[in-house]
Amino acid sequence: MLKPYLAFAKKNFLNRSAYRFNHFIGIVNTLLRIFIFWCIYDALYGSRTEVDGITMAMVTTNFVLSIGMDAMFSIDDYYLSGRISNGSIANELLLPISFKGRMLFENLGNSMFQLVFHFVPALIVAALTVGFLPPVSLPMFLLFLISTILGYGVLWTISFAMQMFAFWLINVWSMVTIKNVFINVLSGSMIPLWFMPEWLKPVLDVLPFSSIYFTPVQIYLGQLTYGEIAYKCGIQGFWIVVIWLFGNLLWSRGKKKLVVQGG
Amino acid sequence: MVSFENVSKFILSDVSIHIPKGSAVGIIGASGAGKTTFMKLACGLLEPDGGNVYTMGKNPVINRSQLGRKMSCFFTGIPVLNEFRSVRDNFKDLQIVYQISDTEFEPIYSDLATRFGFDAYEYTPVKSLSLGQRRRAELGAVLLQRPELLLLDEPANGLDENAKTIFRDILQERVKEGMTLLITSHDMKDISQMCDRIMVLNQGKMLFYGNKNTLMRKYAPMDIMIIQYEGAIPDLEDLPLSRFSFDRDMLSIVYNSNYITSAEILDLLIKKISIREVNVKKPGLEEVILEMERMKGDI
Repeated sequence: MLKPYLAFAKKNFLNRSAYRFNHFIGIVNTLLRIFIFWCIYDALYGSRTEVDGITMAMVTTNFVLSIGMDAMFSIDDYYLSGRISNGSIANELLLPISFKGRMLFENLGNSMFQLVFHFVPALIVAALTVGFLPPVSLPMFLLFLISTILGYGVLWTISFAMQMFAFWLINVWSMVTIKNVFINVLSGSMIPLWFMPEWLKPVLDVLPFSSIYFTPVQIYLGQLTYGEIAYKCGIQGFWIVVIWLFGNLLWSRGKKKLVVQGG
Repeated sequence: MVSFENVSKFILSDVSIHIPKGSAVGIIGASGAGKTTFMKLACGLLEPDGGNVYTMGKNPVINRSQLGRKMSCFFTGIPVLNEFRSVRDNFKDLQIVYQISDTEFEPIYSDLATRFGFDAYEYTPVKSLSLGQRRRAELGAVLLQRPELLLLDEPANGLDENAKTIFRDILQERVKEGMTLLITSHDMKDISQMCDRIMVLNQGKMLFYGNKNTLMRKYAPMDIMIIQYEGAIPDLEDLPLSRFSFDRDMLSIVYNSNYITSAEILDLLIKKISIREVNVKKPGLEEVILEMERMKGDI
């Protein structure tokens, strides 16, 4: 049953290796982002070793991992809208394969490629240049990996749900931009959530955005107890389910619009 | 294979039809007659406002994906291939979708590529192809999985005569093997050569559905006889002819074959004049449709 989806994941993985220059530029882009962030935080920290108990090494680890994960997740926000604007969605719906399944597995193929040939090399370069902290322990590292997968799930479902608006808007560029602003600011990748105002932290804790990057990073740094990890992973799972259900509702409505109105 | 029960949608109004398995049905009608709507209802891309549609015994809207294992569709204006990928890459994607093994895929692909001629540009991205080249590849793509039911909406647009002939040959082979074909086309030659049944739509109403010969007899029974003769002009006033005209030694007669046969006309003429040459022309499907258009007020 999963065979065609895994075949698409594999195909996308292999297809990515064909665009070597694009891939090389992608790594340079990730390293540049890491370097710019490092320069900004290095200037902000100055001679101080820590701010509010947060060391420069922790901040660096946060943005190296967040930027790395962002590059690895590599979600195509225009997968559906492209097919709606050129009309090929109608043809896709006639194929004996789940459109959503194909959408997910093609992205997983991309992400696996990004993990092996982008995230890992970028991480090695970052470790040799700006440096970042190692995981506190092996169990925490394994939990970090689990939480990273869940973080991917949250980001993918957000993108999935947002893309469904293409059935009505056709062009979702503005929505993608708004989504990216929310993710950049509220996920902790740009500004670690440690530095957010105290009153905002409990709100951010339960929003889906912090589940994407900040929860895995906190686990990696050993900032959470096992109980807290279970709670945070529970929040990640909760958002995956809720956003998936919302996206599916839009998907059903969108398909209904297609078959009732003819487009 | 496909049944409509009092189906209404957009311009289509109260259409009932049963298309048996293994038949080749040509759907004809002017632009806006409801041909594409009919096809989209049959494959589940549209839901009827009234009535029921059954494709292979199932509601196609609910079972669209399941039906996709046995049904292929082509609609003009709906891209079949990803334009950023090569033709072969697109076919490889379809191989995954239809779960065709490599040993099965290669001979089918190679046969289609050679016959349609897209083997010459199989590694070219689809966006770089001309309309005709793209259409050849698209039609090959819908035939890849050997569907039991094939729906084609204006497939011949952009094809040259050579490609049209190849396409017709392949379709005729597939129909002989048991495939059911529904095709809309403005090219009456396509319909005439490939289909044994004709459905005529006019402003959403089904004017005719049935055997091609029945359609001819019902709506265009007029034959044209052109006779080259010698001798005095005969008196034809007593014959049940629609009209006749003389031009030097040529006599043209238009008659309804339901009322008088060509043999009866010749039998009478041969007694009065010396006949050098006789040609009898049957009207084509195109003339039938024009006749139906002309008569639609009376139908």
